[in-house]
Amino acid sequence: MFGLIMAGCVIGLALPLRVAAEVSEADFNALKDTVQKLGEQVQALQQSNVVQQQTHEQDTQQIQQLQQKLAETQQIATNAEQKSIEASMTQPMPRQPIDEATVNHNFMMLGDAEFQYAKLAGQHGAFLQADFAPIFLYRGGDNILFEAGFDTTLANNAPGNSGYTTTFNLSFAQLDYVMNDYMTFAGGELILPLGTYTERGAGWLNKIPDNPLAVDALLPGSGLGAELRGGVPVGAAGKSLNYEVYVVNGPGSSDTTGTSGSAGNLDLGGNVGVRSDGVTANLHGHPSGGARLGFFMPFKPHYDLELGISGQSGEWDDAGDHLWSAGVFDAALHLGPSFEAKGEYILTRYGSDDLGTHSQQGWWVQAGYKLAGLDLELPIINNLEIMGRYDSLHDVYDPNNNAFDFKTQRYTVGYVYYFTNTLLFEGDYEFVNSNDPSQADQLIFQLSLGF
Amino acid sequence: MSKLKPLKALAQIIFVAVAAAVMIGALASTLCSAAPTSGAPPSKTDSTVSTNSVAVKAQASEAAPPVLKPQLTGAELYSMHCNRCHPERYPTERTAAQWKTIMLHMQVRANIPGNQARLILQYLQDNSGR
Repeated sequence: MFGLIMAGCVIGLALPLRVAAEVSEADFNALKDTVQKLGEQVQALQQSNVVQQQTHEQDTQQIQQLQQKLAETQQIATNAEQKSIEASMTQPMPRQPIDEATVNHNFMMLGDAEFQYAKLAGQHGAFLQADFAPIFLYRGGDNILFEAGFDTTLANNAPGNSGYTTTFNLSFAQLDYVMNDYMTFAGGELILPLGTYTERGAGWLNKIPDNPLAVDALLPGSGLGAELRGGVPVGAAGKSLNYEVYVVNGPGSSDTTGTSGSAGNLDLGGNVGVRSDGVTANLHGHPSGGARLGFFMPFKPHYDLELGISGQSGEWDDAGDHLWSAGVFDAALHLGPSFEAKGEYILTRYGSDDLGTHSQQGWWVQAGYKLAGLDLELPIINNLEIMGRYDSLHDVYDPNNNAFDFKTQRYTVGYVYYFTNTLLFEGDYEFVNSNDPSQADQLIFQLSLGF
Repeated sequence: MSKLKPLKALAQIIFVAVAAAVMIGALASTLCSAAPTSGAPPSKTDSTVSTNSVAVKAQASEAAPPVLKPQLTGAELYSMHCNRCHPERYPTERTAAQWKTIMLHMQVRANIPGNQARLILQYLQDNSGR
């Protein structure tokens, strides 16, 4: 503005006086007004320019801030993507039981149920029995378990008697306290570890409907007492040494006539009964002791061998003059998922008043082969397992005939058809060669369910 | 009765012969399939632990040469122990809490060392039916 005014002045002075004299006052004023307006416009433009410059600087700052935030966001996104990739590459966390945080006990029922059809030589075939054998488990913590097994059976009484008989038995009832990785204390009515058949092979677990002769005839199934048991790993390949040491009441005498030491009065079931004076009492004062030592040798999954030796000894007569003793050698072999063989040799010996020392022995060997191992890919064949068993029993006392020289050999051939892994349809034929008149050939079918 | 005796003896002889043949054949075929042959590719049963429930991969892989493993897996121990006495049960048949109770029962009944029982339990619970 000031520059324009100065320019005007200079021009005015420089022009000839004659010219200046020719400009009227009105023209001069008009020119003056024009110059003033132009000056105001220039000033307004300058102010506007200042404001625009300030706005531009603010916009530039905002753009820089936005660019910085965009860079930070991109970095965060990149980090999140990297973390996501790393998380997806790690192993998933193992699932934890949903109720373990609040509940540390559990009650459940396992067991088995069977029914049988049998055809004995010389008799009509008939449904022989129905059996329901539940096992109740109560876990009272990480290392306390109470377990009890019952056996309810409805059976016809052929060939000896007419009609049906219903029995209800407590097979075992024991409290287990797992003391550490290698030792468990068990107390109660214990399944006796004389061999492994009674503990691990009876009922639904057996692939042949009836038990080996020697197991039924020579060994007590359970006993009231206490036990220490467990397994100790040997090396890192799965081998383990397993053991049981126990004391139980042991066998007793079924005597009610004052001749408790007679061989025929041996009662493997227990030492509590009726004495000759009519009082129900403990029949002898010393419990029996027993133990089993086994060695389990797996070569790889489904390939293993287990060998065991067990025994029990204790008084059996009221006077405590005679011992009943048993020794069992057991073996089990698995060669792949399809082949299994197992067996036991059982020897028992006991003293008596009338017959001196009396010895009994028996053995059995059983093998099975699942036809799925042939890879024939046939539905029915794939579900079949072929079974065979040999039984031998020598010198079982028969109180009715007062005979001591029974010898029985039994050959069994059969099959198992697996409807599922727990529903089994078994059938077998037993060839018997014996001088015991109560033994006969028979055909047995059994449908069994494990649950 | 006396007429039946020769038949019975014959039946027993046939039984023993057939049973022996089946068992020897089964044993031989099993042993042949189980025995590793040098230079031969690993068989299906060698590379995979076949169970009734699930096909569980063994740690002995198909390509790698066999090496000593520091510790067996729960799946391997499950296949070693459970099949000793009964057909294997599906892990999905029970809940995780039920498996804990059952494994305590089996640890006692089968004398399974505690550390092995824990690995088996972990395998069963990881694959359990909720």
